[in-house]
Amino acid sequence: MSTKPILSVPTEQLENTTFDATMEERILELLKRYPTTRATLIPVLWLCQERYGWLAPGVIRAVADRLGESPAYVEGVATFYTMFYTKPPAKFVLQACETLSCAVCGGKELLHHLESRLGIKPGEKTPDGVFQLVGVQCLGACGTAPVVQINDDYYENLTIERLDAVLDDLKGRS
Amino acid sequence: MPKLTIDGREVEVPPGTNLIEAARAAGVEVPYFCYHPYLSVVGQCRICMVEVVGQPRLAIACATPATDGMVVKSETSERTKEAREAVMEFLLANHPLDCPVCDQAGECLLQDHAATEQGGQFATHMVETRRTFPGYERRLIGPHVIQNQNRCIHCSRCIRFTREISETAALTYKSRGNSAYIDTFNGEPFTDPFSACAADVCPVGALTVRDFRFRKRAWKLRATPSVCPGCSIGCNLFLNHHERVVYRFTPRENPEINATWLCDHGRFLADSLNAQSYLHPHHRAAGQLSRVTWSEALRALGFDLKAAHTLRVVGSANLSNEELFLARELFVGHLKGEMVVPVWAGEHRRMKNGRGEWLRSTDAHPNSQGARRLGLRIVDPAGLSRFLYGAADLTIVLDPTAHPVLAEEEALQLLRVSPTVAFARTEHPIANVASWLLPTTSMACHDGTLTSSTGAVQRFSAAFEPPGDVRRTAHGGMSPTVPTLAQPYGPPAEARPLWFLLTVLARELGATTLDLPDVGSVFALMSGREKGFAGLDWDKLAGSGDDSFRERQHVG
Repeated sequence: MSTKPILSVPTEQLENTTFDATMEERILELLKRYPTTRATLIPVLWLCQERYGWLAPGVIRAVADRLGESPAYVEGVATFYTMFYTKPPAKFVLQACETLSCAVCGGKELLHHLESRLGIKPGEKTPDGVFQLVGVQCLGACGTAPVVQINDDYYENLTIERLDAVLDDLKGRS
Repeated sequence: MPKLTIDGREVEVPPGTNLIEAARAAGVEVPYFCYHPYLSVVGQCRICMVEVVGQPRLAIACATPATDGMVVKSETSERTKEAREAVMEFLLANHPLDCPVCDQAGECLLQDHAATEQGGQFATHMVETRRTFPGYERRLIGPHVIQNQNRCIHCSRCIRFTREISETAALTYKSRGNSAYIDTFNGEPFTDPFSACAADVCPVGALTVRDFRFRKRAWKLRATPSVCPGCSIGCNLFLNHHERVVYRFTPRENPEINATWLCDHGRFLADSLNAQSYLHPHHRAAGQLSRVTWSEALRALGFDLKAAHTLRVVGSANLSNEELFLARELFVGHLKGEMVVPVWAGEHRRMKNGRGEWLRSTDAHPNSQGARRLGLRIVDPAGLSRFLYGAADLTIVLDPTAHPVLAEEEALQLLRVSPTVAFARTEHPIANVASWLLPTTSMACHDGTLTSSTGAVQRFSAAFEPPGDVRRTAHGGMSPTVPTLAQPYGPPAEARPLWFLLTVLARELGATTLDLPDVGSVFALMSGREKGFAGLDWDKLAGSGDDSFRERQHVG
């Protein structure tokens, strides 16, 4: 599997974000699909996160201006959902499932292993900015527990050895 | 109109009234934190739960409209009591209970409810330490508002205020659940022109007004109904004062004008009422100002006025209707002088009334409408210069702050030409040219009415007596101050309200109909003579006496 790293654009470059033609086109497309402008907010934030890697204040302001909301309101929405990054994320965000099925199939041990291997606690980033560890609730893949989601990809039926190999691979490609 | 019974009391309310307001009409107090009569209903705090007979579950009173034949139990229901206790237990699980050091204490809905409804008796199941928000405990979020997030009970009133009333939508919740907190976008300063109202609507001490913080305990303050002097909109407010010091303005409900809001500009004029630069009457002789007694001053002034052939009076749209009326009757009617009222356009101000409509004003004066109603000549700066040009036997300036040009060298030069009488309270360069300097007091020291730009004649009341012991004597003069060792209220000042000085002058000049004992009598005379004030009754203009709940009274 070739998980794509998150490339977060630095804050300074996003200070005065304006949407280019491609973004504008996709926003217009989204606007057509929802009954109100406000309802389009979350898909537009997703779009921005895909594009810029995270939701910098400058991006939030641009979204607010585009959709006619106040920046505070948009920031409130963005901070409500943990899957929106309001701080620049690491290249690879390791989301280790902590819920029952994974926990009994070795998820706990996986999480402990990740903590000791990376030297960080859930919610933290490694100093080199390559890995970020998050403990999450059920990823809906109980049949293939334990599961770790890395960026947009699921890594299933994991053992400590397989996970190590994945991390080595990702580290090598970063 | 639905008729319903609340705790055994029958009440009839307009359709659509919610149970909190219906209960209030019936004299039953339903507690609430997130409900506010002028904000949308969200039903977040759950403390207002009541039992509606016939419904299996408790209903939140804020979101339940009164219907005909409804039987509601609030204080008489065990289930209600139990539910409210549970809500309080959750709210207090994380509330810091730092009332002794919290500036909101005494006017805090949470504290009130804890103390009254449940008699201060609480049992809690919580063993965990309280959730805190390090760094958000005493944070200046805007020029006038300090946030202590630990105290927040997540009622969202401040957020709804910025979204629905001030329309800046500057505040929001960030994060969610247990860690949700109030913040502005990217932590930028909360510069809403109504920012202090967000602190007003805060039921607890999470948002407090910086300018008032720790100046005075809320329960020490007395509230006197008054009107904002900030612009011509005429927002209703309470003067909160203690021992002859005005500490703050708080909104007084008036659905027609300011609902329960005040703009920051008007609200923070409160401290300006405390300024009293001139304490004693002064006379300039041989270029030197020297202190005189009121009796000397008024007698000599009466003599001068009688002798004056040409008399000019500069009025002010900051004065009350009664003061303008007295001045007009005395100086124009009785002495045949000329009087103008200079008016200047101020900054654009706005206020949202109870129906959600913006009232706007570009008139910096609280009473230019009153001056117009009294038929006084309104002038602009050029008109004022023309009026002051040349010599007159006497020029009277009733309020040097009437227009900024009065402080400019050009106007002062014009005033220097002939004898000038200046009635003044705050420091003003006119003191350098006036031959008589007579100290007046702020609106906190006298009654009166102001006419707002919407045409409403609104009464403000004296909060306290002006300091010093100067009174009318039996023969009509004024007794001097007798300085005593015990001067608890500052120096033995002799400043007196302008209306009072004008009535004494009227007596000196033999205008006996204007020699009136109180402002109410002046108003009665005015409403009898003036079309613009006909049919108005002084007593009925008295400020709202409804102090039944905090949003209307804003004091503990």
